[in-house]
Amino acid sequence: MSFRRIIQLFSLFLFLFLLFAALSFSSSSWPVDLFLRMDPALTVFTVLSARILLLAFLPVLIVLGATIMMGRVFCSHVCPMGTTLELWEKFNRSTAGKRVSSTNLNFLKYLLLAFLFGSAILGVSWVFWASPLSLITRFYGLFIYPILAFLAERGLLILRPLAEQFNMNSIAFLQIASPRFSTQFFILAFFLALFLLEHYSPRFWCRTLCPSGALLALCSIRPLIGRQVTSACTHCGKCARVCPMEAIELESPITTKHGECIVCRSCEEICPERAVSFPVLWSGKASQPDGFFPDRRRFILAGLAGALTAVSGLTGLASPSGKAGPGKVAPPGLLRPPAALPEMEFLSRCVRCGECMVACPTNTLQPIWFEAGLMSLFSPALTPRRGYCIPDCRQCSLVCPTGAISFLTPKERFWAKTGTAVIYKEKCLAWEHKKGCMVCDEVCPFKAVEFRFEAGNPVPVPEVKEERCTGCGYCEHYCPVQNQSAIVVSPMGAIRLAKGSYLETAKRQGLNFSLRKATTFEFPPAPKGDIPGRAPGFD
Amino acid sequence: MDAHFITRRNFLRYQIAGAIGAASGVGLFLPRRIFADPIPDISVVKGAPGPATRAAVELLGGMKHFVKPGQRVVIKPNMSFSSPPERASNTHPEVVRELVVLCKEAGASSILVLDNTLDNAERCLENSGIRAICNSVIKNIVQTIDDAPLFSEVKIPGGKRMSSTDVMKAVLKSDVLIAAPVAKSHSATGVSLAMKGMMGLVYDRRTMHIRGISTCVVDICSVLKAHLTVIDATRVLSTNGPHGPGKVLKENTVIASRDMVAADAFTVSSFEWYDQHYKPSQVAHIREAHERGLGRMDIQNLNIKKTIL
Repeated sequence: MSFRRIIQLFSLFLFLFLLFAALSFSSSSWPVDLFLRMDPALTVFTVLSARILLLAFLPVLIVLGATIMMGRVFCSHVCPMGTTLELWEKFNRSTAGKRVSSTNLNFLKYLLLAFLFGSAILGVSWVFWASPLSLITRFYGLFIYPILAFLAERGLLILRPLAEQFNMNSIAFLQIASPRFSTQFFILAFFLALFLLEHYSPRFWCRTLCPSGALLALCSIRPLIGRQVTSACTHCGKCARVCPMEAIELESPITTKHGECIVCRSCEEICPERAVSFPVLWSGKASQPDGFFPDRRRFILAGLAGALTAVSGLTGLASPSGKAGPGKVAPPGLLRPPAALPEMEFLSRCVRCGECMVACPTNTLQPIWFEAGLMSLFSPALTPRRGYCIPDCRQCSLVCPTGAISFLTPKERFWAKTGTAVIYKEKCLAWEHKKGCMVCDEVCPFKAVEFRFEAGNPVPVPEVKEERCTGCGYCEHYCPVQNQSAIVVSPMGAIRLAKGSYLETAKRQGLNFSLRKATTFEFPPAPKGDIPGRAPGFD
Repeated sequence: MDAHFITRRNFLRYQIAGAIGAASGVGLFLPRRIFADPIPDISVVKGAPGPATRAAVELLGGMKHFVKPGQRVVIKPNMSFSSPPERASNTHPEVVRELVVLCKEAGASSILVLDNTLDNAERCLENSGIRAICNSVIKNIVQTIDDAPLFSEVKIPGGKRMSSTDVMKAVLKSDVLIAAPVAKSHSATGVSLAMKGMMGLVYDRRTMHIRGISTCVVDICSVLKAHLTVIDATRVLSTNGPHGPGKVLKENTVIASRDMVAADAFTVSSFEWYDQHYKPSQVAHIREAHERGLGRMDIQNLNIKKTIL
């Protein structure tokens, strides 16, 4: 196995390990989002669209610096997307003979770059369509991980009877909660297309579409270290045929399109004359953008197209742009993760990598489709029916690579209200069906659901104490009413701050959260109903 | 095991004292009952959680009466909430431990302490204190189960609202079921004791709420009849149950019976709920269980033995 292959597999392993760390180790000090922060397109366009400079993006500077020095080593050695595509190619050996040249499409990645630039200038982030790290994180996190968990769950079914035989309780009662995610159909379709293209043309994505590849290509037009061919070359053309990036032309194997070259050094390996090497290019000339660089008119058109789609997003019915006020349309149940930035800033920063959804211990964070408009596509939303939001959990903010969800101190996090529960009396077992239930009260971690007696109703009925409700969704999750719960968290009263204190803001609004499990919990005086002196649940 | 020895000695002393008392006093009026049925229907012991548990079971004839050597036992405590013992939302860990020790002494081949928690399972196991204390007796016997394949369908022949339900397979495989609830109030069913606690062994609790919680509790109890009920009333959650926090009464009492309905009924009548006294018949599921013949709530007609340690 070559040195490159080892580095590549190590990188992929590290990437997967960090993803695993995100979902397993709460309060982890691992840089779980490291790879995302190395992605040039993801970081550059987030800086542009959100107009922020983040210290967290330091790793990308190292990647860019390394590229200026030695070319696109990131693409050939580090990028998990590249490795995944190469592994697929290895697995699917038929590629070699069938290669279809697609050099004439290589300009597309620059157009994509211009497109993303055009939209980012207007504050709209479309990186999630094309950032390789955002896509591959979703592929492994939201698509492969649930499949593996599902298989493990099935595996347990076989293992359990054996464990029972030997009284091994820790295995016999081991449970694997396999996560579920929406929009995985998009990931499936997208990667199916990528793998199919890979089948006909190796590294098609990296060569033709990847905007990070395009940025790195621009940085490596004249690298310090690069491919050099000595006069021993016999023009046999073997190197040109083996180059996965078509950075070498068959007619002239001596010249190198450095912008396209990912320094995989396959040409060096295959050369029968040992004429190829990768030394320091003291006297090297800058290679042209190799004719792949589109003409100015196409470039500007692509930028305009990006700006235009950005505007179409901004002017969509559900667009969050502009000040809150009358005429605003947003989905009634759209709940953002706790401490998510105000909607516009949130959307301009969120790269839809899915890291928060992988890390969420209750699987409540789900990517959404078009219900909140084009701009919100694949963005994370709380889904209380699926899972509640644990009041002292900060996992999503911990793993967010761009700070779209603020990482707060535990004390501040506690006051990051996500919404308010609303009871639909006509669906409620106690209110409408006059059946004893009170599950919402039973599960509420804050005692924000109180019971009281209503004249003519033999059972106690629930009532939300809004000032105690954080919108965590335990009530909606556990409500026995199908399919829509009779108690539903609405985004009403959610606190989302770009700066300032959540605690102070909440207190100023008269909110009064207190966890039942806290030793300082002061429970509200036992409620007295319309029927005095009767304990709830007794006849 | 010195502590146990002393407890047993104390306990024997009380038993002898009780026997003498019975022979000299009450015995004159009800002699037949004393000799024909020396084992009471309900035992009530005041004392520290562990010793009181042991004594209450001993009064019923000892654990050997319920658990034969080689049998598989499931103990069902309350550990559904992530709160510490003093909050009285969960069974006191020392009560659970004592039951595990008693079952072990009786020669059980396997003992499991099972529940299906509402709060995060890990936090419940941790904060209830039940897992740690049981691990000190036998490792890995406290488990929470909510995964569907670990449940299996059970028909409820006499069910009124439910014809079947899914019950933990581990319970179905066991020979002995011990209910070990904490005494607490419940905003839907008045109290949550042995019968209501059986909901922790079934998969779909939602259906039960929709179909009528009290009748459904009786339905599932008709197939999940505990062989022994030990109610932890060392602390009683008198208000704001089942989750709490609420008013906690320090009663230092453990109540045991072979009849889960009787144990529940006695517990209801023994303590204040929301500062008031209630009759067992005021709790719908207890009343219905009595009417359907699952057990007896007419505690005034039952043989109750009380001891103070």
